[in-house]
Amino acid sequence: MKTSPLTPSATIPSPLELARPTGAAARALRWGRLAAMAAALAGLLLLGISGWFLTGAAIAGAGGLLAVQAFNYLIPSAAIRLLAILRTVARYSERLLSHKAALGAMAQLRARLFRVLAAQDSRTAPNLSAGEASARLIGDIAALEDLIVRQATRPGSVAAALAGVALAAFAGIVPALLLALLFLGFVPLIGTLSRRWTQAPAREAAEALGDLRSRYVDMAQARAEIAAYGLVEEILAELAPLVERLDRARAALFRAEAAVAGVQLLYGALAAILVLATATRGPALVALAILAATAAIEGLAAITRTAFRQASVDAGLRRLEALLALPEPPQEAPAATRAPATLELATLTLQPGDRLALTGPSGSGKTIVLETLAGLRAHPLAMRVAGEPLAACAAATLQAQFALAAQDAPLLAGTIADNLRLARPAVAEPAMHAALRVACLETRIAGLARGLDTPLGEDGAPLSGGERKRLALARALLAERPWLLLDEPTEGLDAATERELVARLDVYLRETGKGLVLVSHRAHPLTLASRALGVETLVTL
Amino acid sequence: MKMKRAGHFWALDLAGAALFCIGISGGVSALVASPGGSRTWLWIACLAAGGACRAGAIWLVNRFAMPAAQDHANLWRSAVMRRLLGARLPAPLTAGASAALAIDHVQAIEEHGARFQPARISATFGPLIALGIIALASWVSALILLATLLPFVVGMIFAGTSARRASERQLEALAALSGLFVDRVRHLPLIRHFGAERRIAQQVETATRDVAERTVAVLRAAFLSSAVLEFFSAIAVALVAIYCGFSLLKLLPFRAPESLTLARAFFALAMAPEVYLPMRRLAAAYHEKQMGEAAETALAAYGPGAAPLAVPQPKSGAAPQQAPRAGFDGLVVETLALAWPGRAIGPVSLRLGAAGMVALSGPTGSGKTSTLAAIAGQIEALDGRIATASGHPLDPAAIAWAAQRPLLLPGTLRRNLALAAPDADDAAILAVAERVGLGPLLARRRGLDLAIDHRGSGLSGGERRRIGLARAILSARPLLLCDEPTADLDAQSARQVTQVLRDLARDHALVVATHDAAVIAVADAEIAL
Repeated sequence: MKTSPLTPSATIPSPLELARPTGAAARALRWGRLAAMAAALAGLLLLGISGWFLTGAAIAGAGGLLAVQAFNYLIPSAAIRLLAILRTVARYSERLLSHKAALGAMAQLRARLFRVLAAQDSRTAPNLSAGEASARLIGDIAALEDLIVRQATRPGSVAAALAGVALAAFAGIVPALLLALLFLGFVPLIGTLSRRWTQAPAREAAEALGDLRSRYVDMAQARAEIAAYGLVEEILAELAPLVERLDRARAALFRAEAAVAGVQLLYGALAAILVLATATRGPALVALAILAATAAIEGLAAITRTAFRQASVDAGLRRLEALLALPEPPQEAPAATRAPATLELATLTLQPGDRLALTGPSGSGKTIVLETLAGLRAHPLAMRVAGEPLAACAAATLQAQFALAAQDAPLLAGTIADNLRLARPAVAEPAMHAALRVACLETRIAGLARGLDTPLGEDGAPLSGGERKRLALARALLAERPWLLLDEPTEGLDAATERELVARLDVYLRETGKGLVLVSHRAHPLTLASRALGVETLVTL
Repeated sequence: MKMKRAGHFWALDLAGAALFCIGISGGVSALVASPGGSRTWLWIACLAAGGACRAGAIWLVNRFAMPAAQDHANLWRSAVMRRLLGARLPAPLTAGASAALAIDHVQAIEEHGARFQPARISATFGPLIALGIIALASWVSALILLATLLPFVVGMIFAGTSARRASERQLEALAALSGLFVDRVRHLPLIRHFGAERRIAQQVETATRDVAERTVAVLRAAFLSSAVLEFFSAIAVALVAIYCGFSLLKLLPFRAPESLTLARAFFALAMAPEVYLPMRRLAAAYHEKQMGEAAETALAAYGPGAAPLAVPQPKSGAAPQQAPRAGFDGLVVETLALAWPGRAIGPVSLRLGAAGMVALSGPTGSGKTSTLAAIAGQIEALDGRIATASGHPLDPAAIAWAAQRPLLLPGTLRRNLALAAPDADDAAILAVAERVGLGPLLARRRGLDLAIDHRGSGLSGGERRRIGLARAILSARPLLLCDEPTADLDAQSARQVTQVLRDLARDHALVVATHDAAVIAVADAEIAL
């Protein structure tokens, strides 16, 4: 059998299957389905019995006192009130339970998705660090959640359809059969129409939105020039066709939504006409059947909405599927080399504890060398770790050997302590303070009202750029790896602080016997290194 | 507003519902009148016409509501984009945050207009019209429905306020959760580097489950308002059915206030749900309402109604080349300080004559670009003074900007070079292009007619940077602000660009944000941030 990249093989469960609730969430879903059925049936019977009661009452009322006394009005009138209350309670329970099930299931799915992504090798994993990619991931997950909430309403629609047919049977076999045929045809009809009418505009709208966004982001990045030269009107004219395209597609989608809903309304009228035209029993039962039939068609609205949204979420589901299909690495990763390893960079061999400065003009690839050693990217470099070519090293080995303080100093949203703890689980406060002291950041942190528990904003605020770098440095120290990789550690520091930091790092390296690979365009930090290597011997860009 | 007008088509929906109910009640009472007799096609026609009216109504509403909502949203969009791209901002924005405002929030306003506004019109008039129609058949039924409507409205006010607060809290919790999830997904390489995959996965899992549990608790209250709606609409149907039934049986415990026929009673019963339908429609659009209003709040500072632009737009028709040069005699920046929540830059002071070069140095993220933007009047300063040497306010038309990643518009190289000087002739453009070192590009490709797409395909980083410099020179503005002119360039290009800057500093005032030691070395002064 031919498999396209879009159809997952049988062994990979789809996101919908993975989001299937288990445990308490599954129980909630079962009860939610029951409640949906109860709500649908109560609504249908409420209308049907009311119609039957009215018609029966009218016939009895016209038949005189005897007929009125023979007419049992107590049971139907009590049933009507009971059904009114039952419908309310059932609908409330259905809503609550289906959301409970969906939220529980989605919590599981998110956790699993994160585990799968986290377990990948950075050198080969899909790159989700751009804002666009992660925002899209959130959107896809939200769409899936919506689908799961709707899942619970499906049994209610089916129950309404079955009950509609059963009640129509009171009015005659022919209307019941016709109604059954109508219901059977409904799902394929609505599914086909939704696909035909909404798929193209939904795709077009998604593409138009993506195009507009990426063009706008280009413009927003060039904002300084646009504002300085007064080019705004020109830019708006540039973006106008993209906006028009998006508007057209969204208007078409909105019309399609109305068309699908309109078909459903026509369907309801058709059901009522068929029952009225073909019913053979008494008028009271015909009344019951007509009202039940129209109510049952209304109950199918949930299916219509799901079919309508399907076109928009399909692409998202496929993207999630592709992420979930990433191989989950074996629980026991290949044994990592934890003992301090020797490094071979081209012809130069470094023993544990050696200190090397990588030199070269800016843009020559020094950062690439550090990131490749850290296992963050795959770049063909003539380097060996513990005698193994770099490309053949397990990710775990690189993790065990190197701690990187990167140039852009990425920090997690969270507290300062959260960021330090990233390097070593359950690290105690004295150890954090010791690392911050080496990084010349201890007094600054102590001066913050909440100290280590200060939450960091999106850009690491309230820390300045230089302080963020030193926090990242402290974090790398806490990781206690045999090799420290430092990328411009003193950039942005005044000369006095730079001297202090270099002195403390020197002591730290001497006392711990750690090795160092350093990149710095400033002269003073280079005094930490005892050897130097031109980066051009390693990298061909 | 026009999208409200689209909501008026919901009246057609009510007319359709009435026709449909006439069809049902007429059909059933015809059966009672002559059991098993011929069914009049009139009633069947009513049913068909009713269905068609309702289908037509929803189509018309959507057909007209969306374009009207888009017109409204586009007013917002162009006002917001004009501000975000061309006016003074209170604080710098990342391109992503800017896109969220100009695209996502505007889309929420569009949805609000297309879905909520028509539903609101229908909810305002629909129930009363439906009651009026029912009153024609049975005024007592209409009264009963009105009586259930009143406690319903009160109930909605109570349940609605608590539900609104609850759902706002839920939205916040969900936003915080997706914020955490996005943050951790973005930092996966870092997390893996420190071998913290399992721990962080555990943390994400706990946070997700936490939010799920809290959300369920919140939803309990949120769904209460829809339960109130359900309850009253169900009770209304039940009461009408019981009243009409007992009235037809002549068993009412009081004197019958009206004489009901089956057709009238049945009509009232079938129409009863229509009284509540508009409000259900409104409830279904509640999410759009909330998102739309949140978006309008977020955009309030940028929207069509906001205060006029703070930065005078320098583009003027009359010979802009000469005027600014005449007025500019040097730049003075005194104790310029920038601050916004969580960030503080400066104070920065610098002094520059009509020619010369000052380097603003500091690491990535130290505020070099923001300081340049403040000098250009593009973001608001907390404190300090920016003026010409003779103490006049700085004319925005005197300032050129050479970007780190210059703007490229689809078209020819000529158009891109002359963006800030549309009237420049080819000779002038070519001379400037040569001066910044674009000569090899012009010789290699098709000269000024070289086609450029918006991605700048086929241009190297160095060539792009030079296009930005050439554009700045062509604008003939005396003060040139350069943002990281040599970042990410190969050594040779960086040397050449540095040379061009030095050359420009002979007849321009240059403020250069850089962390390149070679650029700092050729500057007349260095201001470290």
